[in-house]
Amino acid sequence: MLQIVFDALSLGSLYALGALGIALIFGVMRLVNFAHGDVIAFSIFALLWPSTDAMAIVFAGNLPWFLLIPFVLAVGAGLSVLCEIVVFRRFRNTNPATMMIASFALGFVIRYFLLMLYSSRPKSISLLPILSQPVEILGARLPLLQLITIIVTIAILFGLVIFLRRTRFGLEMRAAAENFSMARMLGVRANRVIMGAFALSGALAGAIALIFGIQTGTADIQMGAAVMLMAFISTVIGGLGSLAGAVLAGFLLGAASVVMQVILPVDARPFRDAFVYGAVILVLLFRPQGLIAARGTKERV
Amino acid sequence: MSTSSPANTTALDPILSADAIAARKPARFALAGKSIVTPILLVLILLAIAVVTTMIGSKPFNQVIIDLFVRVILVVGLYVFIGNSGVMSFGQIGFTCLGAYVAAWLTINPVMKKMSLPGLPDFILKAKMEYWQAAIFATIFAAVAALIFGRILMRLSGIAASIATFAMLAMINTIYSNWDRVTGATSSVVGIPIVRSIWPYFTAAGIVIFIAWLHAISRSGLALRAARDEPTAAAASGIDIPKERLVAFVISGAIMGAGGALTAHSIGVVTPDNFYLSLTFVTLSMLVVGGMGSLTGSVLGVVILSALIQALRFLEAGVPVGGSMLALPKGLQEIALGIIMIVILALRPSGLFGNRELTLTRNRSE
Amino acid sequence: MTLLNLVDVSVRYGRLTAVRGVSINLKEGEVLFITGPNGAGKSSLLRAIAGVTPTAGGHVEFDGAEITGRTPEDIARLGFSMVPEGREVFGSLTIEENLMVGAGMHSRTPGWKGQTAADLDSVYNTFPILKERRNQQAGLLSGGQQQMLVIGRALMARPRLIAIDEPSLGLAPNITDQVYERLIALQAERSLTLLIVEQSSTRAVMVGGRMILMRSGQVVLDGDARELGNSEAMQAAYFGYEDH
Repeated sequence: MLQIVFDALSLGSLYALGALGIALIFGVMRLVNFAHGDVIAFSIFALLWPSTDAMAIVFAGNLPWFLLIPFVLAVGAGLSVLCEIVVFRRFRNTNPATMMIASFALGFVIRYFLLMLYSSRPKSISLLPILSQPVEILGARLPLLQLITIIVTIAILFGLVIFLRRTRFGLEMRAAAENFSMARMLGVRANRVIMGAFALSGALAGAIALIFGIQTGTADIQMGAAVMLMAFISTVIGGLGSLAGAVLAGFLLGAASVVMQVILPVDARPFRDAFVYGAVILVLLFRPQGLIAARGTKERV
Repeated sequence: MSTSSPANTTALDPILSADAIAARKPARFALAGKSIVTPILLVLILLAIAVVTTMIGSKPFNQVIIDLFVRVILVVGLYVFIGNSGVMSFGQIGFTCLGAYVAAWLTINPVMKKMSLPGLPDFILKAKMEYWQAAIFATIFAAVAALIFGRILMRLSGIAASIATFAMLAMINTIYSNWDRVTGATSSVVGIPIVRSIWPYFTAAGIVIFIAWLHAISRSGLALRAARDEPTAAAASGIDIPKERLVAFVISGAIMGAGGALTAHSIGVVTPDNFYLSLTFVTLSMLVVGGMGSLTGSVLGVVILSALIQALRFLEAGVPVGGSMLALPKGLQEIALGIIMIVILALRPSGLFGNRELTLTRNRSE
Repeated sequence: MTLLNLVDVSVRYGRLTAVRGVSINLKEGEVLFITGPNGAGKSSLLRAIAGVTPTAGGHVEFDGAEITGRTPEDIARLGFSMVPEGREVFGSLTIEENLMVGAGMHSRTPGWKGQTAADLDSVYNTFPILKERRNQQAGLLSGGQQQMLVIGRALMARPRLIAIDEPSLGLAPNITDQVYERLIALQAERSLTLLIVEQSSTRAVMVGGRMILMRSGQVVLDGDARELGNSEAMQAAYFGYEDH
């Protein structure tokens, strides 16, 4: 039982962090950023020296943890900000479909860039191997990492809440997320806020990359895509633009996946995700605006 | 942000004016007469490509053009729903998947089928059809699936609808990737008869272009586009938006299903992941780069991007330059493609053709 | 001294011209009403000055500096505070947070903290109801309270000019009275320049000051509000009788 709860929480953590990264950017510029998954992949590959060999040549991955973590977060944030400056800035006033396709094209560029440098084979890496050891809590044996994933996610969420509520920049970001043009009319600097959102979102991508990399022990170009699909869905059923909603929906989706894995009959288990997607459609039918409807994101006529 | 700008009021007038409604019928025939030029020109362009291909007679090039025609079918299928309704759908490739597997089920040699897909019902196991018969069934099957999904999904709009279609695609993919005895799960289903002549593909692409045009000038298509441009006014003038969307969704689903069957016959193998995210995005990109709101854009978007991809592949394979081979590194093709797409979109956010169609008299906006 | 100077300003949406060649000169400390029927281009003009909508021609000067084509945040930082139509509070932020967003642009100036606290007090003095509900979400306020909040928020920026688009929209008349009362008191107290857009001339006549009538994107009349008031020229111009 406890195992199920922890599975649900740790899977939900990944979805929630991914959803948050998307919701942050959507909030300030109405962009559904398909390149986010590729930023995740890039962050983990930055630890390896470019080579097409099957064996990973660890580069920055050998850093001690107190340097390794900031390094990955900085790579994610840096790449994300770079995307904003080079690409998304030119799409500020275009329609969401065009922006979405542009972000997809950008993700495509990042993915094939990685492919060119590292080849498409997943590479095994071992980061912070201590974390894979099991620990015993209340009679259940859990991988230490699972516990840390949950704790780290909660810490990140708390940190983010404090940042958004207590700092000047957080306040401006929340105002801009709700009504961008009004915030500008009050002197909030658009570029700064958007770049801040991209940096935060990129750092979150870095966090996911680390957790995922440690969990699976591999660096895989496809790794972003798996989390991202669920993260997108979380963002939307959470209520696009609502950060709290994205987090909530991420955890719910994680829980739904794990619970279905347990309660479905054995024959139906391979189809678990199909049931999850079905549930998503149902939720949208009853609450098309999402679980927590963000104010100011309703379609403006 | 709402403003009291006069933009709103003036733009509504043409739709709501009594004259326009009274004059609808004759106007529509006039519209048909004038706009039929577009599909004819588009089909002529494809015909020219087909003729040149047979004249060249190169096998690999033949395959490239077959791929091109299949893509035209798929992207025009996307246009029917996305272009006319303005609702971004990520799910249409799901219907392509359904169509492709129907074609596989009905055309693979029964002896092979019994071994690879033992879970199929008896009448399908025994079936051995011609490719075009199977394609018809694939079309019908996809249309029925689109009707069932559409009944549910068309109640949604905006981003919720887009994500729901995404969920539908993922759902279809999950089922087909795991239903071992019926779809072979993630392993390739082989033994589908390969059709190597370009003419069936050309014919299908031509038919699809005309269907898309007929739908666009039909009452339902016009209503749907009116609702796309002026939702409030359209609802006020009695247009049943979910219904018109459903019509387009089903037609689009049918076209995507037909495209799926032809994809299966063009390569002879299917796996669920052939019809998932990457195909979705390649086809969507072609649509958006060409211009979402234009039939011309969707057809020529395919032609232009396909030509670009081929040119880059050609460079990747290597060009002899003064005795030595000069080749682009692997992966650069995709990177270049991505960059070119971003540049096109940055310069022309509504695509190369926007809302315009190809006609003999220039500058006619839709 | 001229604070805001519009020279031949035009605004276009696609093929549609909303504002055609408007020139207005506004002096420091002046109260100017821009009135006119729906679709006259008043809001478009205001949005163009604020930098939210691009101008299609002409230029705008604020305090002697050319601001045409500059970003909304730059214009706001020069001392032009805009209160757009429909109030636009940040509904999920608390009332105090809304006010703090308005003060943010001065966060780099020395002594900002003390000054902001003083400004906050003065807004709360002007609108006591805001102080009472300072920690509530702004979305929960009534229409009149929201109007007070956005005016307070604009004041937090210590502007030289406040431009308000239809402050009476959707408010009961007695609430509108309150809003105007406070506005005029503030104007006198801080020698603010006010630019108010209203559909009808009623308020302008009650409050006094200068009034401009716009119709079809052009300035039709310009003069003293009380004198123009209910004159026949005004009626004719408002409804466009001279066309027939």
